[in-house]
Amino acid sequence: MRIERAVWTLDSYLRNLPRKSRIAKRRELRVNLRAASADVGVNEALRRLGNIRTMAAEYLVTEYGGPGPSWIVTTYFLFAAFYFMIWFENARIDAFKAGAIAANPHLTGTFHFTGVAYVFTNDVFIFTNGKVSEVGGTLLPLVYLCIFALAVLVGRLWRAIPAVRQRSLGAING
Amino acid sequence: MYFLNVTPTHDPQLLKGVLSLLLLQMLAQRESYGYELVQRLHEIGLSDISDGTVYPALGRLERESRVSARLVSSHSGPARKYYRPTAAGYAALAEGVTGWLAFVEVTNPVLLHPIPTQPGPPNEEVFDD
Repeated sequence: MRIERAVWTLDSYLRNLPRKSRIAKRRELRVNLRAASADVGVNEALRRLGNIRTMAAEYLVTEYGGPGPSWIVTTYFLFAAFYFMIWFENARIDAFKAGAIAANPHLTGTFHFTGVAYVFTNDVFIFTNGKVSEVGGTLLPLVYLCIFALAVLVGRLWRAIPAVRQRSLGAING
Repeated sequence: MYFLNVTPTHDPQLLKGVLSLLLLQMLAQRESYGYELVQRLHEIGLSDISDGTVYPALGRLERESRVSARLVSSHSGPARKYYRPTAAGYAALAEGVTGWLAFVEVTNPVLLHPIPTQPGPPNEEVFDD
């Protein structure tokens, strides 16, 4: 059980590695730990293994020449960024609608609401006796581009490019 | 004068520099799997080296194509991954050993001198302020 915990702890630190490589490392560590625990006992085998985080860092340096790309961080960032942008746009739309209805609960007509420059397109609100439908207010392509560029930076995705990986490894190995 | 009469502990940085060579040499002597290599390192006196240092070092050698690995079934459990040097590994070993011996040849005459308790005077004349 404790061997499995060590194996899966290592696996959790290696989540940025390709799946195949991670499975191979898990398998090898498990075999080595079993051999070691048969020889010196589980406690000593785990003690001799040392710090698992340091070991994982060594594996990542071997693979990427550094911490490596983080797909999880990238995914979280993308979700957070788009969630925020959608929330922000909805807040603007709701504020406009609420203001218009507060001024005239039976409002009828078509209204244009200027978007945010370089971020959102303009909105068109169609009021019919206080009921409203809207068109527009979407993110501009530039925003998508910026969010994806930031996601690449935040998740260090350039390290997944084989040429960059080789260069990093070359720098480490001299 | 001081003499080196303390129990030797191995500088991790120094060890890291030479670990690849040791592993290649040991694998050239006999194919081994990870834990067996750790045991062999302990047997030669490197008892303070952690298993967690050796396994990634083996992974690095494999990634650099200096060792190849094959699975060998074991009577005491799952198959073990045995390593052996490749042609590139043998070349790296030969080159590394030559480099290491040259390094030792230069540094040993200096380091093997007994350590003086205080430094001698400088070669040039010193004027006190």
